[in-house]
This record gives sequence, C-alpha cells and structure tokens, in this order.
Amino acid sequence: MLLARTVWLLVLLLPLAAWGELKVVSSSSSTAMLVREIAGAHVGLTVLAPPDRDLHLLQVRPSMMRALRGADLVTALGADLEQGWLPLAIQQAANPRILPGRPGYFEAAAQVDLLQVGGRADRSLGDVHPVGNPHINMDPLRMAQVGLALAQRLAELDPQHADDYHARAGAFGDRVAGRLATWQKELASAPGVVSYHLDVLYLLQRFKVPLLGVLEPVPGVPPTASHLKGLTASLTGRQGVILYTTYQSESAPKSLGRLLGWRIERLQLEPPLHADGGVYLEHIERWVRALAGDGR
Amino acid sequence: MGRVLAVFPLVCTALLPLPAIAADNAEITVLREELDLLRTDYERRISDLERRLAEAELAQGQPAVTTLPAQAQSERQGIAASRPVMGRVSSGNAFNPQTSVILNGNYYYDDVDGTGAELLSGALQPSQAGHAHAHEGHAHDGAENGFNFSEAELAFSASVDPYFDAATYLAIDSDGEVDLEEAWFSTRRLPWGLQFKGGKFYSDFGYINNQHPHQWDFSNQNLAYLNLLGDHGLQDTGLQLTWLPDWPLYTLLGTELLQGEQERFGALIDDGDEREALDLDDADDGPRLWTAYLKVSPDLGFDHALQLGASFAHSRQHQEIHGADHDHTAGAEQGLEGDADLWGLDLVYKYDNQAPYGHRDFKLQTEYLRSIKDLDISGGSEAGIGSRRELTTDGLYVQGLYGVAPRWQVALRYDTLGPTNQVRGGERSDFDSSQRWTAALAWLPTEFSLLRLQYEYSDIQLQTGGSEHFNALWLQFIMSMGTHGAHAF
Repeated sequence: MLLARTVWLLVLLLPLAAWGELKVVSSSSSTAMLVREIAGAHVGLTVLAPPDRDLHLLQVRPSMMRALRGADLVTALGADLEQGWLPLAIQQAANPRILPGRPGYFEAAAQVDLLQVGGRADRSLGDVHPVGNPHINMDPLRMAQVGLALAQRLAELDPQHADDYHARAGAFGDRVAGRLATWQKELASAPGVVSYHLDVLYLLQRFKVPLLGVLEPVPGVPPTASHLKGLTASLTGRQGVILYTTYQSESAPKSLGRLLGWRIERLQLEPPLHADGGVYLEHIERWVRALAGDGR
Repeated sequence: MGRVLAVFPLVCTALLPLPAIAADNAEITVLREELDLLRTDYERRISDLERRLAEAELAQGQPAVTTLPAQAQSERQGIAASRPVMGRVSSGNAFNPQTSVILNGNYYYDDVDGTGAELLSGALQPSQAGHAHAHEGHAHDGAENGFNFSEAELAFSASVDPYFDAATYLAIDSDGEVDLEEAWFSTRRLPWGLQFKGGKFYSDFGYINNQHPHQWDFSNQNLAYLNLLGDHGLQDTGLQLTWLPDWPLYTLLGTELLQGEQERFGALIDDGDEREALDLDDADDGPRLWTAYLKVSPDLGFDHALQLGASFAHSRQHQEIHGADHDHTAGAEQGLEGDADLWGLDLVYKYDNQAPYGHRDFKLQTEYLRSIKDLDISGGSEAGIGSRRELTTDGLYVQGLYGVAPRWQVALRYDTLGPTNQVRGGERSDFDSSQRWTAALAWLPTEFSLLRLQYEYSDIQLQTGGSEHFNALWLQFIMSMGTHGAHAF
C-alpha cells in the first residue's frame, strides 16, 4: 500500500523535476542563436526550421506540434515571415502558454522598427508584406536589440536566472557594437548590390551600401528575361556584387553576373543551425566580406 | 519497506525545485523593485547602443549615397520599447475575420457524354444508400462536358475572444446556391493538451476527409471516399474532443459525437410515407454517429515527415431501400435498417527538398476504408422480412506528388472501390471492383494560384450490371484571394 502510494507520488512529481529547465522552441536558427547566446545552459532549445530553407514557404510537420506542445516559450522572427506554418503549428499544439499575446510568445519583429512598413496590400505586386520587411536577422544591431528584449522576457519566465540573462544580452550587444565600426569602415566604399530578393535590405541599410537592383521583378515571382535585360541595360558600366541565398535558383544570378562581369556571392540567409552569438557574428562577417571589395 | 526507502531520495530530489514557488508579499515587493531596476538598465543599454552606433557613423565620415527604394529609407526612428512586446506583427485584419475567397472551375470532357461524374459516384456496391439523392444538392465533382464552375469558397476565421476561435466556410456553386460547409468554434486555452470543437465541420476521420476540394492534389475525390462517404465526406454537426499528450512521440487522439446527417454512411430515409410503407423506424434522436481516431508521427528531422493514422466511425442507425427502380414503383422495394461501421487506415509521407518552390518535394498519401453495414430487412416485398444482410465494401487509394521543376508538380493516383464487395447473411453475393488511374500536371505560378491538367482512365462497375470504361480530361483552375491560408499537414 505504502509502496503503491510512493510510486504514485513519484509519477506525479516526475514532471516537476524537469521544471528547472525552461523549454524554448525557435522557429529558425536566427532567434535560436539569441536564445543560445543569452540563455545558454538554462534552457532546452528546439529549432523548427533548418537554416537552408525559405521560411516563407515551409510547411507544417507534426514534429513541430510535438515540440511546441510542451514549450514554455516560442521565439519567431515574425512579421508574417513564418505565416504559412507557425501560427497553424501553434494553434494545433494545444498549448495556451505560447499563443500570441501571452508571455510564451516572443516575436523579434515586434521588438524593433521595421523597414518597408506600409505599402499597398496588392498581390499583383507580388507576395508583399505591408507590415514590413521581416528579414531583420540580417541587421546585427536590431538583433542585439531583440536580444535585450528577449532577456527581459526570459527573466519574466525564469526570474531565478534574470541577472544572467540581462548580463549576457548586454554583453552580446557590446560585441555587436564593437564590430559595427569595423564593418562600417570595410563597407564604406562597397560598390553596391543586386540582390535576388529584398532579404538583405536590413544589412544594406545598416551599412549604407547602395541597393542597385532586385532580380525578382516583384517579391515571390522568379526573375524574367525582360527584367534581366532591363537590369543589364541600367547597370552596364557600373561595379557591383550579385547576392543570392542557398534556396534561390542560381540561373538568373549567373546570367546577370556573366552579362555585367560582376562577382556572384551565394550565402545562407540564416546562421548555421547550432549558431550562438559568436557564430552569428562570423556569419554576418561573411556577408560583409561578400559586400566589400570593388566587385571584381 | 527497503524499496520504499530506496525511492525516498528520488522523491526528495523531485521536490527540490518546489520551494522557489513560495514567495510572501515582502519578497514580491523586492522582486518588483529589482524588475524596475532592470527595466531602467535595459533602456540605458539600448540608448548606449544607439549612441555608439551614431559615433561609429560619425567616425566613418560623410554618409554614403544610397539608391535604396524610397520606402526602405522611410525607416521610423522610434525609441525601443521599454518592455518586450508580447504580440506579433501581422497583416491579420485587426477585428475583422481573416477572409479568403477561393475560386475553383474547370473545363471537363469525358467520352461517355458527360456522365463520368455520375458513374464514378455510383460505382457498384451492395449498399444502395444515397442513390436517391444523387441528383440533388451541390456536388463537388459534378462536371458536365464543357465549362464548369465548381464553387467559390468563402472562408472566414478569427479569434472570438481569449477563449475561443471560430471559422466559417461557405461554398457557392455556379447557380448561386450556398452550402454551409463548415461553421465551428474551438477552444484556445484548455489545459493538458485538450481541444474542443463544436458546430458543423469536416470530421478528422482519416486523412483527406477534412480537406476542402481546393486542397486536393487532383481535380476530383477518390473512389473510396466518394462512394463510401459521399460528395462531402464525413461532414456533420456535433462536438470534437482531441488530446495531444506531451509525449516524446507525436500522438493525437480524437473523438467526435455527430448528429448523423449523412447521405451514405448512416443514411436515413427522409420520406415519412416511404418509411411507413417499408416498416422503417423514424429517425432516432441524435447524436447517432461517433468517431474515434489516432494519429502518430515519429520525428524524422527537417526533411522527412511521416504520419500514420487509424480511424473508426459508428452510426447506430442506417436505413436504405433495395429493389427500387427510378420510378419508385412499390412492390419490389425492400427497406433495410441497422447500424454501420467504418474503418480507416492512412499513411502520409512528405519529403521537403531544399530546392525552392516545391522543386523535388515528394508526397505519398494512401488510405484504406472499409464500410460494414449490418442490416435487417424491415418490410416491403414479402420475401425475407427479418432476414439479416451484412453489406461490406472497401476502398483504397494511393497517390504520389512530385515537384518536377520549381512550381511544377506531377501527380499519379490509383484508386479502387470494392476489392471486398459483398453481401453476407440471408443472402451471399460478391461483386466486382471498380478502379481508376489518374495522372495530373499542375503549375503553381505562386502559392495563390494553380492550373491543373488531369487525365483519368476509369473502369467502373455499373449498378445495372456490366462495366463502363472511359477517359476523362480536366483543365482546372484554383485562385485564392485574401489571407495566406496555411494548410495543415
């Protein structure tokens, strides 16, 4: 009898033992990087999307609901970037703690100012986002700001480690600020960029690198021959770099590169899957190096 | 006793994190003060960062000339929020429900004078339920030779309040007739992984059952669902309870209690005079139908997803009329009444390739359904009153979808009705099965539009004996306006 009762007590208490660790689920490696940098060993972390996928086109998998079911906090880039799968996965995860508007839902885009806010909500202009360009992970300073807000949120959910979260978010901010001046010098004479999609906008804007053109005629629509012709005509004689990411088709960047004689750079938009702050800064460093130079 | 002692330290360990929960008022005040301090600190850090950035910009000398689009330059210079923002940035429509309108139309041709759709939904099975209704109401697959407008689907969804979500789906056919496909509410905040849904909805029985026609990988429904559940599948009014336990393996358990307003499975004879003539009972009080289902999905990483499901449905009242000709002349007719069971097994596998726009993505989807109607002859023609008839028909479909190029999909389907197609009880008969092969090519210019070319070759057993072989061709369009509808797995 006593044995039976003890076993029952044990069964009831088992989940409590896992309470010590906050369970965080990140939509992609960008916010996972911040979680890892700020919360380190205090949390258990799951990432839903691999870094080589277009977050806009991902589809929901049951394993996402599995991960979200027991989560204390979900971190997303937001501004409708993960709209095709994350809201549905959250709704189907039957976990009221992580619904938008509650402390368990953290959206990076809601913590900083966005570019391209407003604009016409007209799909003949492509897959537009009137709420703003969601690719804030390309701006290290905004990510540092998001980190401070995330530390605040983590501290609310896990007051025991609050000091640590704030200290680490601050330290990450300092590291970012420390690199900004160097990067700004490196990019002072950057020739400018033709980008496949406006996913590098925040990086260009941060370092005042000119955006010379976009390969997609409108967002979400693949490059057309006539659009490439127009770009070639307007850019011949200039210097620049052509940028595209791992999940974008290489044919248009390559043909434009051939026509203009420009350097082509293919880089991953998201930091590596297991990135922490340091790996993220190296990731941005790679982009900075791709932007710098005279374009040859 | 020794064992109890051995367990005791474990219990103590498990209890360790608990004391943190106890906090008296004094502690709360201290915590609040600390929080305020942190908040100030946080604001200071932000302004510090901004100052250092401004310095860095100054150090760089004159700002570079940019040709950023005007929109991009209009960056608002706001001060960072003093507290992290809880909600999300979304184009979701403030207080209006999220709205979408989906248009679904086609050009259709078959070499049996446009009767293909009728033949497909009336493939031979011993159960006669639903045949009286074949020409009534809005049918998803109803297509004549030539141009057809299948439906315009209007979808509205929103959070009602912190406790409920709700959604409504209306289908309007080419004659302007409105059919309420779904209208339900669901709970948002139940604990322990529980969710309730109530209203009229597509049952989560099986896999394809809860999908609207525009979500199908083909222009029409598979033979198994079409013939065992009818045009609308298992669509009914009632309640659903699901439980998603917090287990290492994704497991979803669900059960539904439904009114039982069905055309094929759990069908009832509406006409009171006819019921009386055939000694069939009046409709029992609802709910007359229940379902239970289980979905399991192992975590196969980022690229692969697999879901296995098993479903069961039971209708405690089912009526049908046998021996009726089209004029409903009395004499040869017999009424049958009893209950009905439906079993379902489903498997879905998806492969997500890194290539953009669905290129090299693959999906395999297959389901098996088995319907067993356990009936007694209640009245009508003298012969065999009281005699038992067990009508069993099963059906299967296997379909694959592959992204042959960015935005281009090729799909193949084999479906069959009646590998088992029999009557047992007072009479023993076996019937042949019907089958079909389907190939489709779809072009998706964006995620909002789709154009599909579909060819099918069908070999359908007729109720009147013999079989019909025919070819059919579809050229279909699906256009979605409005919000981005996320599709469930």
